[in-house]
Amino acid sequence: MENTSASLPTIARPRQHERVHVAHISLAGRIGKQMESLAPYMLLLPLVSLILLFVYWPLVYSFYLSFFDWNFVTANKPFVGFDNFTRMWNDRRFLESLNGTWKYFVILVPIQVFLPLGLALMLWPIRKSRMQNTYRFVLFSPTVIAYSVAAVLWLWIFNPLQGVLNKVLIDFGFERINWLSDPDVAIWSIVIVASWKTIGFHLLLYLAALEAVPTDVIEAASIDGASNWETMKSIRFPLITPTFFFVLVTTVISVNDDVFGAINVLTDGGPFNSTSNIVYYLYEQGFVFFQIGSASAVSVIVFIATALLTWVQFRFGERFVHYG
Amino acid sequence: MDSQRLGSYASKWSLHIVLIVICLATVFPFLWMFSTMLKPADEIFTKDIQILPRTLEWANFSRALDIFPVLRWTWNSFGLSIIITAGKLLISVPAAYAFSRLHFRFKPLLFAVVLVTMIVPGVVTTVPNYVMINHFGWLNTWIGVIIPSLPGTAFYVFLLRQNMMTLPQELVDAGRVDGAGTYRILWDIIIPNVKPTIAVVTILSFLGAWNQYLWPLLVLSGFENRTLATGMPFFTGNAESAQMWGPMMATAAMAALPPLIVYAIFQKQIINAFVTSGIKG
Repeated sequence: MENTSASLPTIARPRQHERVHVAHISLAGRIGKQMESLAPYMLLLPLVSLILLFVYWPLVYSFYLSFFDWNFVTANKPFVGFDNFTRMWNDRRFLESLNGTWKYFVILVPIQVFLPLGLALMLWPIRKSRMQNTYRFVLFSPTVIAYSVAAVLWLWIFNPLQGVLNKVLIDFGFERINWLSDPDVAIWSIVIVASWKTIGFHLLLYLAALEAVPTDVIEAASIDGASNWETMKSIRFPLITPTFFFVLVTTVISVNDDVFGAINVLTDGGPFNSTSNIVYYLYEQGFVFFQIGSASAVSVIVFIATALLTWVQFRFGERFVHYG
Repeated sequence: MDSQRLGSYASKWSLHIVLIVICLATVFPFLWMFSTMLKPADEIFTKDIQILPRTLEWANFSRALDIFPVLRWTWNSFGLSIIITAGKLLISVPAAYAFSRLHFRFKPLLFAVVLVTMIVPGVVTTVPNYVMINHFGWLNTWIGVIIPSLPGTAFYVFLLRQNMMTLPQELVDAGRVDGAGTYRILWDIIIPNVKPTIAVVTILSFLGAWNQYLWPLLVLSGFENRTLATGMPFFTGNAESAQMWGPMMATAAMAALPPLIVYAIFQKQIINAFVTSGIKG
């Protein structure tokens, strides 16, 4: 009597039976069936093996390398324990780069999170105007070119004697500024280039989120007599908090990685190490001084710090994010 | 009533004015690049600001080619970008298909393995990968640039998976009835139905590969082997060429124009992919 539920599979059975029967006869069919059940793994094999080899294994390998004193060339690698981790705290360049890392966080995270949000809120009311397309195109354009190219364009603008920025300053009766060689100013020049380069992408994400807010919700609110600002505050904003959170998390993770290109071309970490950050320090240790052990130790620290930051953000982000 | 309308006009216009000023500031480095690359040296080094070139000087391009192998860099940029893009599609489309439409053991774990790569900063794996590449004898080869670049596809896998999940199950069932296996279904049914997303992934990975900086900079040494993005520092690294702003801007334009053109053509598709993929964090 429980047959009502069991009867469904029996209808399907003959066809399956037929297939099994065929598989018995031909070897090719058997292999084919085997392949079929392995298919998901076969489809994932190239991606997952490359990820394991070039992302996860390097994490383990850098942990291993961080215990040795090695200059990349010599055959012997003396084991030094945790020396690479303790020694850096006496390295002035490391401490200066930590200072820079902190500065980039404090200055660039708010700029890269809120400025594009402000721009998106400005562009949203004129979404039906043809100008919006032009604005969006222009604001996004710096993100599609290489960081090194962007840096070279700004190198020319920042040039102390022939650069257009200083020419303008002098025309207006100001003093010439050494945009890249004054230790107090150089970090701001990097900030300008980094902001110019990355704001467009976040703007696009915010605009996409605003667009995804269902219009009937907005209409219902305006029928209820809510003002533009009220609907923005109480409806649109809660609905775009996931995007806001996404932008915040990715900015915190990538901001110090992002400025590397600008530092590398514009200042090489100088003057007096004032524009260096931990990523640039890592690069310097590894590929300028060839201190593989110490560079690996920095890699380990950067990875652990990133993982912690991400975890903390998810832990506390959940509270104010509205997943609709 | 009238004053209210006037007010909304005024606020709209002030909005446009603010946006125009911001956009002009954003686009200025590009305009300055185009202007400089078309100026002869005596118009570049002037006391006053000269916005437009008085005479168009195309010689900056041939001078750039004389100083550095810029054509070779262009060729390297195109070659590497095309191969990396093809490779990324080849590994990310099947993976997205498995994650979106197939059922198998360890699926959540494997998906997490892929997604977590998004939070690993690229620079963390650079040193060990460099040591490894050297071990394989891949330094100064294209393969050394290409293979380690391929796993950076988590975001594309995510985009493709989101799109594939929206396809109706009947579509796949119809294929099953016709006797198509898992691979056939991918090729005949899934791929044709997610072509727009595949196009976007192609564009984004091409842009990414074209603009790649640190990794090819480390792997490819020597004048000839560089790409446009990694060749630019040669200009600034040499005291003499560091003053040749005309040729430098000409080379920068060669590096910047292909991605700008691709973006100009496909702007709509790129933006739509973000909207429809429903990136919500």
